Amino acid sequence: MSLLSVNGLSVKFKRRNGDLTALHEVSFSLDRGERLAIVGESGAGKSILGYALVNLLSKPGYIAAGSVQLAGQELTQLNAKQWQGVRGKRIAMIFQDPMITLNPVLSIGDQMVEAIRSHTRIAYKDARKLAIEKLAHVRIAAPVQRFDQYPHELSGGMRQRVIIAIALLLNPEIIIADEPTTALDVTIQAEILQLLKQICLDNGVALILITHDFGVVSRIAERTLVMYAGRIVEQGPTLEIINDPQHPYTQGLLNALPQMALPGQRLNQIQGSMPPLSEHPGGCAFHPRCPYAQDKCREKVPGFVYSGVSTVACYVVEDMLAEFAQYDEEDLDV
Amino acid sequence: MSEPLVRILQVEKSFRTRSEWRWPRMFGGKKTSLASHVYAINNVSLEIERGETLCVVGETGCGKSTLARLLMGLAQPDAGVIEYQGQRIDQLNDKQRMRYRKKMQMVFQNPYASLNPRMTVYQILREAIVLHHRDWDRHQVDLFIAELLQSVGLSKDAEDRYPHEFSGGQRQRISLARALSVEPELIVADEPLAALDVSVQAQVLNLMMDKQQELGLTYLFITHDLAVVEHFATRVAVMYLGRVCEVAIRETLFKAPKHPYTQALLSSIPRLDNLTLEPIHLSGEVPTPLEKPVGCSFCGRCPLANQRCYEQIPMLELQADGSQVACHAVAEGRSWK
Repeated sequence: MSLLSVNGLSVKFKRRNGDLTALHEVSFSLDRGERLAIVGESGAGKSILGYALVNLLSKPGYIAAGSVQLAGQELTQLNAKQWQGVRGKRIAMIFQDPMITLNPVLSIGDQMVEAIRSHTRIAYKDARKLAIEKLAHVRIAAPVQRFDQYPHELSGGMRQRVIIAIALLLNPEIIIADEPTTALDVTIQAEILQLLKQICLDNGVALILITHDFGVVSRIAERTLVMYAGRIVEQGPTLEIINDPQHPYTQGLLNALPQMALPGQRLNQIQGSMPPLSEHPGGCAFHPRCPYAQDKCREKVPGFVYSGVSTVACYVVEDMLAEFAQYDEEDLDV
Repeated sequence: MSEPLVRILQVEKSFRTRSEWRWPRMFGGKKTSLASHVYAINNVSLEIERGETLCVVGETGCGKSTLARLLMGLAQPDAGVIEYQGQRIDQLNDKQRMRYRKKMQMVFQNPYASLNPRMTVYQILREAIVLHHRDWDRHQVDLFIAELLQSVGLSKDAEDRYPHEFSGGQRQRISLARALSVEPELIVADEPLAALDVSVQAQVLNLMMDKQQELGLTYLFITHDLAVVEHFATRVAVMYLGRVCEVAIRETLFKAPKHPYTQALLSSIPRLDNLTLEPIHLSGEVPTPLEKPVGCSFCGRCPLANQRCYEQIPMLELQADGSQVACHAVAEGRSWK
C-alpha cells in the first residue's frame, strides 16, 4: 500500500457569487521513501495542493471533495487536535522563504526545542541534545554554538538548513518542500538539493517537492507530476518525462527553457499565459494555448491514459494511441 | 577595434550604512552610532561594444544591479570613469544627462513595481515621448504609441488600460515599450525575467531578441540565470562580491570557464541535457561586502587558494583565447587536484 494516497481532491475558495475551484479532482499516490516533484507555473495550484495535504488552507479556501489517506488513515476528516499528531510529526513542511519561516525573536535552539516538546514529552536537556544532533545532520558547522544564535545571524542557505533540521526533528514520514531553493543563489541551491536528497535516502523519508524549475526536478525527484490550471496533466518517471514529454503543455514548458534552443535562436514559446482562477476554461484547461487543440478539447475534460512513458490527460495523445493500436491489430491480421 | 559604445573604467562605489540608537535611560541615554561602508563595486572595468549583448551574472549582492544604476546615472560612482561614445557621463547634472537618457534606457526587474498604477498605458508611454520630442503634435504621438504597442505584441485597446489589468509578461512588454519609446541605442535590463514564469520568460526573451535585430540595440543584461545567459549573450561578465572575475565571449565561457568561481557556478546550474554532471560544491557562503577585501574576494571559498590569494588582489588578465580572468591560480597554472 502506498504511504500517501490522494483521491479526487478538490479545493475551492468561497466567494459570494459562486466558489472558485483551485484544484480539480487531483489524484496521486506516494510510496515510502519516494521523491516526487510537483511542477507547474504560478497559478497552477501546486502550492494549494501542498497546503491542502497538511490542512493549512487559510480561510476562504476549503477542501470540497476527495480524500487524503496517510497509510490508510483518512486525513480530511481529522479535527484540529488530531491534526497535531500528524502535521509536523508525520508530515513536515518546508516553505519557500527561510527568512519568513523562522521566528526572528526566538533563538534557533528555542524554536527547535519548542517543536520537539510540543509533540513529545521529553526533558529540555534531551530535546536540546536531539536538536544539536539534527543540526549536525544537516551539516551545519559548530551546531552547539548555532543552537543559541538567532535567525538573523545566519545566511540564507544556513537558515534553510536549519528549517530542514526542524522538519527532520520528529522523523517524519513525508516532507513537503514548497519551492525550498527559490530564494537561494545557484551555488547554494545545489548544496541544499544535494542535502535534501541525501536526507531522504538516509532516513527513508518520502519527499514532495513543489517547484517550477525542471532543472531542480531533474536533480532530485524520481517521479514528476505536471500541473496546469488546478489539474494534473501528466505524471510519470522524471527522466522519461524530461526526455519524452507527452502532454503539449509539458512539451511547451520544456521547450521554452533557454537551453533547449540553439544560442541566439528564438525560443519556442507557448502563446498566452496561465488563466486566472476565475477564468479556467471549460474542457481541457490548456486548449486556448494548445497548438493541437480540437473541438472535443474545448468541450470535455480528457481522462488519463497511459502512453507507455507517462500518464497523460490529453485527447491528442489518446487519439494517437488509438491509432497505434489500430495499426498493431492490422499487423496481427496480416 | 572601433570605439566601444560604453567604457567603464576602474569604477568604485560604496554605500554608507549607519546604525544609530539611543541607549535606554538606565544605561545613560547616550547616542551610539556605527558608521560603516558596504563596498558594492570595487575597481570594475568593462566595455560594451555596439550591437552586442553583454550579460552580467553573479549571485545576490555581487553588485550587478549597482553597476547598472551607475551606468544609468541613478547613482554616482565614488571613483572611476564611465564614458559613452568617448564622452564622460558619470558626473553630469540632470540637464546634461537628458541627452543620454534618450540614448540609454532601463528595464527593471519587477514589472509590478516599475509601472505607475495610476497611469494608463497611454500615459506611461506618452510621458517619455513628449519629454524627448517636444515638437511632435498630438496626432504624431498617438500614431507612434499605437505603433510601439503593436511592435511589442500588445493590442491597440491596451492603451487605455491600467497596469493592474495586465499579466506579468504583458507588463514587462509595456516596460520594454516604454524603454523603446525614445528610440534608445542601449537598453540596460536588470533581471527583466526574474518575476516571470518559464513560458512567459521565453516570450519576453524572444521579443527582446527580435527588437535587437530590428533596431540594432545594444543590451546590458543583468541576470543570475545562466541558462538565459547561455542563450542570449554575446559576451559574459561574471561578477563576485563587487569585482569582475571573468569576462569572455559566450562560447569560450561556457566551453572553457577558467576562474574557479565561474566553474563552480556553471556546474551548479541544474541542466536537463546533462543529468550526470555533479556540481562542484563550494564550501561556505558569499562573505559580506562590509569589509574591503585584502586579497582575492573569492579566496575563502576557493579550493585552489594559496597564500598569495589572501594577500594580493588579482587583476583581469588577458588569456590566450581572448577571455579575461582575474585569478592568481589561473595565472600560475594551478588546477583542480
